[in-house]
Amino acid sequence: MILQDEVLVPLDRDTVFAALNDPEILKQSIPGCEELIKHSDTEMEATVVVKFGPVKASFGSNVELDPSAGPAQFSLSGSGDAGVAGFAKGGAKVDLTEQEGGTLLNYEVNIDIGGKLAQIGSRLVEGTSKRLAKKFFTNFEQALLNRHA
Amino acid sequence: MSVEAKTMEERQAALKGLGSSRKRVEDARFTQGKGNYVDDIKMPDMLFGDFVRSQHAHARVLSIDTSAALALPGVVAVLTAKDLEPLGLHWMPTLAGDKQMVLADGKVLFQGQEVAFVIAEDRYIAADATDLVVVKYEELPVLVDPFKAELDDAPILREDIADATEGAHGPRRHPNHIFTWEQGEKESTEAILSSAPVVAEEMVYYHRTHPCPLETCGAVASMDKVNGKLTLWGTFQAPHVVRTVASLLSGIAEHNIRVVSPDIGGGFGNKVGVYPGYVCAIVASIVTGQPVKWVEDRMENLTSTAFARDYWMQGKIAATAEGKILGLWCHTTADHGAFDACADPTKYPAGFMNICTGSYDIPTAYLAVDGIYTNKAPGGVAYRCSFRVTEAAYFIERMIEVLAIRLNMDAAELRSINFIGKDQFPYHSALGWEYDSGDYHTAWNKALEAVDYKGLRAEQSAQVAKFKAGETRSLMGIGLCHFTEIVGAGPVKNCDILGMGMFDSCEIRIHPTGSAIARLGTISQGQGHATTFAQILATEIGIPADDITIEEGDTDTAPYGLGTYGSRSTPVAGAATAMAGRKIRAKAQMIAAYLLEVHDNDVEWEVDRFIVKGAPERFKTMKEIAFASYTQAIPGVEPGLEAVSYYDPPNMTYPFGAYICVMDIDVDTGVAGIRSFYALDDCGTRINPMIIEGQVHGGLTEALAIALGQEIAYDELGNVKTGSLMDFFIPTSWETPNYQTDFTETPSPHHPIGAKGVGESPNVGGVPAFSNAINDAFKPFGLTHTQMPHDHWRIWKTANELGLHD
Repeated sequence: MILQDEVLVPLDRDTVFAALNDPEILKQSIPGCEELIKHSDTEMEATVVVKFGPVKASFGSNVELDPSAGPAQFSLSGSGDAGVAGFAKGGAKVDLTEQEGGTLLNYEVNIDIGGKLAQIGSRLVEGTSKRLAKKFFTNFEQALLNRHA
Repeated sequence: MSVEAKTMEERQAALKGLGSSRKRVEDARFTQGKGNYVDDIKMPDMLFGDFVRSQHAHARVLSIDTSAALALPGVVAVLTAKDLEPLGLHWMPTLAGDKQMVLADGKVLFQGQEVAFVIAEDRYIAADATDLVVVKYEELPVLVDPFKAELDDAPILREDIADATEGAHGPRRHPNHIFTWEQGEKESTEAILSSAPVVAEEMVYYHRTHPCPLETCGAVASMDKVNGKLTLWGTFQAPHVVRTVASLLSGIAEHNIRVVSPDIGGGFGNKVGVYPGYVCAIVASIVTGQPVKWVEDRMENLTSTAFARDYWMQGKIAATAEGKILGLWCHTTADHGAFDACADPTKYPAGFMNICTGSYDIPTAYLAVDGIYTNKAPGGVAYRCSFRVTEAAYFIERMIEVLAIRLNMDAAELRSINFIGKDQFPYHSALGWEYDSGDYHTAWNKALEAVDYKGLRAEQSAQVAKFKAGETRSLMGIGLCHFTEIVGAGPVKNCDILGMGMFDSCEIRIHPTGSAIARLGTISQGQGHATTFAQILATEIGIPADDITIEEGDTDTAPYGLGTYGSRSTPVAGAATAMAGRKIRAKAQMIAAYLLEVHDNDVEWEVDRFIVKGAPERFKTMKEIAFASYTQAIPGVEPGLEAVSYYDPPNMTYPFGAYICVMDIDVDTGVAGIRSFYALDDCGTRINPMIIEGQVHGGLTEALAIALGQEIAYDELGNVKTGSLMDFFIPTSWETPNYQTDFTETPSPHHPIGAKGVGESPNVGGVPAFSNAINDAFKPFGLTHTQMPHDHWRIWKTANELGLHD
């Protein structure tokens, strides 16, 4: 499953890029994120609770960040295990472009989902995933604006 | 007496015997919610089991940590393969000669595979605890495409038998290969294919689907440690076989095991096999000393207990330029999933697939079937058909259509000129069967006339012209099918389950007051056995069907039988019933002669009594005879009136039918609307026309489901994409059309009452009729064949590929 969209954040690119690497901002942004532990600059561990239709899944996730192409690009990869509910693995790539009024984030998320989550139907999972991705960036923008208000 | 005032016809009618549309005696309890199903069984101190299942299609199990689950209040135990291993129960034999993991032993091979069994005081606690069992996996490459199973980079699935070059059905050429089964004449068929004037070729895929009965599979096991007796209630289509298998596996003596199939909410093949849930419930009850219930949920049912079909059938059919078929060739790649667990009641790994010459007189044929392991659920059951018969019927009925296109000939006419003639029966087919009886031309002509076939074709042509002129966006499809089934497994010479011959049985006891109880080795799952078997007996022994109780499903009381599936109950147990009835009548004749003070040969049977030959006013009714058998000392005759019959049929029976479906297809939405469906069935002697009609309606609706969308689909990771009823298609009244049923009656010459069985005909014949209608609609635009299931999206896609949206 591939999700693509874009969002404009009314802040400069360096600020936005730094925020993408900031555990505190990420924790506020990831929908359902209950815990986020930074092991190093590029390694994080997160507990995220997501509800896909009738299935509530608590993912124990390991995420690796790749800021090496920053601030023009930011990417991450990871996998999450939700026990009997299933598992997810994949990655995301965000292109950051400076433009008038702020920074345009073009994101492409690539996720493979397995287990019960996959069985309940790709329509449901895809819809939920799209909504969550959107919600992440809305939260992200809000968290940033709160900090820089 | 008022009885004597009745005419013979009135007495006949009062019996409600053969041919009577007697109302189903079962329905009083079912329609009032008073059925007694496995999940209705409640016992003191009963525990509940639930499975931890694999989320991966192929992975190594690195560790299983049950400590958190065990710490949850209410959890009694958690079983893993390690716990079952000392008992030798971590694997179990399948009905197809393979073995299957009961709980994951080192690795998992399909999504939904049983990994651990949690036993708790409450169903909800058990479910919660499955969440707390932590299983660490190492993912392995997944194999979902059977055509990639033997490539160099294919993962080896079954490490336990990777080196075995010999399987249950002969040589294996690759670790992922199960068997090759060949029938017929390879060389002469290939010679005909290379020299015939016309050869048509097609790959026909019958997709993976699932019987999905309303009630899912389940069991309650209760081990009484005081008397050493194990009682097992379950959704079993073959309770006696389950008892024997349970005894062989557990080492508990067979007389100490009682298996009971209570009311069953539909089986359709799903409840023939033996599943890990049954084994775990038994072990859990033995371990805890308490009754243990296991009932699977809908997702578990669809993803782990027996699927059906998944046959890739490559076909070649040769004919003269005039359309006379010369030869048929078929190579099937059969996707069996992770374990070969087909519920196959024959001695052959592809069952009755060699009925694929269908209703046609085909002089030479060759069939080969390759069984393949993939990372999918095991099973391969006969979903409302005899084993692999619906695959065979779909294959030949598609090949006939493909040949008709190649010949530019009307497909109804092509069938007609190739039918086995009425005078050719008993007919020996090129692939080895002896068809018992049939009259295909009569049935076919009756069907074509009933639907005004010529008129339909003219209307279809006009519709195509209108479509091309841009006046309509709707196309009309005419789906033809003439199928021949092979049912009633079956003769011990070619049918068995784990070596057990496929006979069946009936035991009758006539009570002193002239009513009766009959017990059979079969088990109804909605077929109405309590109604129809009483009718067979009523005609045989002259006791009204209303005065006869039919009992099945309790191995402590019923005679041994092989169960109900493959339309075998009427052909086999029905025959046993008639034969046992005749034994009763033979004894009754001696009693009647004694009471009438004449010689045995001087009385004759008349509806419900024996009369003195030439003096019908001197008679003894069956009721009087029954009473005498218990109350009088009759010289040379034992008291009582009972009989038992075990029946091994001399041959299979071969029901047939002619189905015609008319569809209107919206090219822009892919919606296929069924305008009409005509179904003519010939099931030999008709026992209860109303029940036959009900069976035909139900079977056609399941056929509609399969042809128009029902499937178990996997993605490339081995995820089941249709694991719930949100995605798995079950037709409702919205999709279900009105059916027009009809019949001809060609009795089986070898069956005691001439009956052939009918429960599965509509599924076997219905799927090709629906599919042929879809294919036929697009034929004028160049389509030869499109694969099932024909859901709206695929129909739309077909239209799109043919350029009909341009």
